[in-house]
Amino acid sequence: MRFQPRASRTRIDRLTLNLASMIDVTFLLLVYFIVSTVMARPEDQLTSSIQTRDSETSGAEIDYQPQVVEVVQLEGRSTYIIGDRMLHDLPSLTTVLKNLPKEIGVFVRVSPGIPVEFALAAVQAARDAGFQQVTYVPQL
Amino acid sequence: MIDVVFLLIVFFMVTSEFARDVRAELELPKLEGEQRDESEEAGLVINIQEDGSIILSVSDTPLQLDELEQRLRDTFQGQGSTEARVLVRADAQASTTRLNEVVRLLHEVGVGAARMGTEVPPMGGRGGAP
Repeated sequence: MRFQPRASRTRIDRLTLNLASMIDVTFLLLVYFIVSTVMARPEDQLTSSIQTRDSETSGAEIDYQPQVVEVVQLEGRSTYIIGDRMLHDLPSLTTVLKNLPKEIGVFVRVSPGIPVEFALAAVQAARDAGFQQVTYVPQL
Repeated sequence: MIDVVFLLIVFFMVTSEFARDVRAELELPKLEGEQRDESEEAGLVINIQEDGSIILSVSDTPLQLDELEQRLRDTFQGQGSTEARVLVRADAQASTTRLNEVVRLLHEVGVGAARMGTEVPPMGGRGGAP
C-alpha cells in the first residue's frame, strides 16, 4: 500500500492560468490610449451673448452709454477700436478693458473680413479683464 | 475577464470615433477660453472651415446657409433660447464674414448665446492671438 501526503496531491491538481492573451490585450489597450491621447488637442470655449445691430438699437431708452469694442480692418490691418483709442494687440486691449466698469458689460462689434482668431481674441480680452457679460454683435 | 476587456476596447473606440465625427479637424484660435472646471454638454456643433464651408459633422457634405437654417429650426423647435446649446468651432484663419452670418442665423432662430471653440495653447501661453 502506497501512502502519499495530502499536500503533494493538491499541488498536482492546481490549475494554471495562461496570461499571454491577457497581456496582449493590455498592450493593445495601452497602444490605443497612447494614440488617441496624442490625437485629441485640448479645447475650451468662449461664451458670449448674441445681439444683432437691429435689436441693439431698439434699446434706446437705456440710461447708460454701452461699452463697445469695434473689431475692424483699417489700412489692411486688423484693429481694435475702443472709444477714441486704436489698438492692435491683445495685451493692450486687455489693459484698457480692465479700467472700464464691469457691471454693464461690453459689446464686441465684429466687422466682416477679419480672421476669426483676431475677433475672438477681443472676447478673450473682455473675459480676462473680468467682464461677465460679453455680447457678440455680428456686422454683415 | 478578457471578454470584458474587449468590450471596453470596443466601447472606447466607438465613443472616440463619435467625438471625432462631430469635431472636424480645424486649427482653432489659440486662446485660453473660460477655463471652467465643470464640463458642459456640447449640444449642436457647427464647424466653419478655413474656406468658409460649414459642416455639422465630418461625414457630412458642406451646408449652405439656408440648409443650416433649416437644420437649426428643426433642432431647436420648441426650445427656449436658454436651453439651446450651440458650439461654433471656427478655423482661426476663417473670415468673420462667414462667422457673422452663422451667428446672425443663430440669433434669428432664437439662440441667445453662442459658445466659440478655442484651442488651449500649450503651457497656458497666449498662442497665435495678436
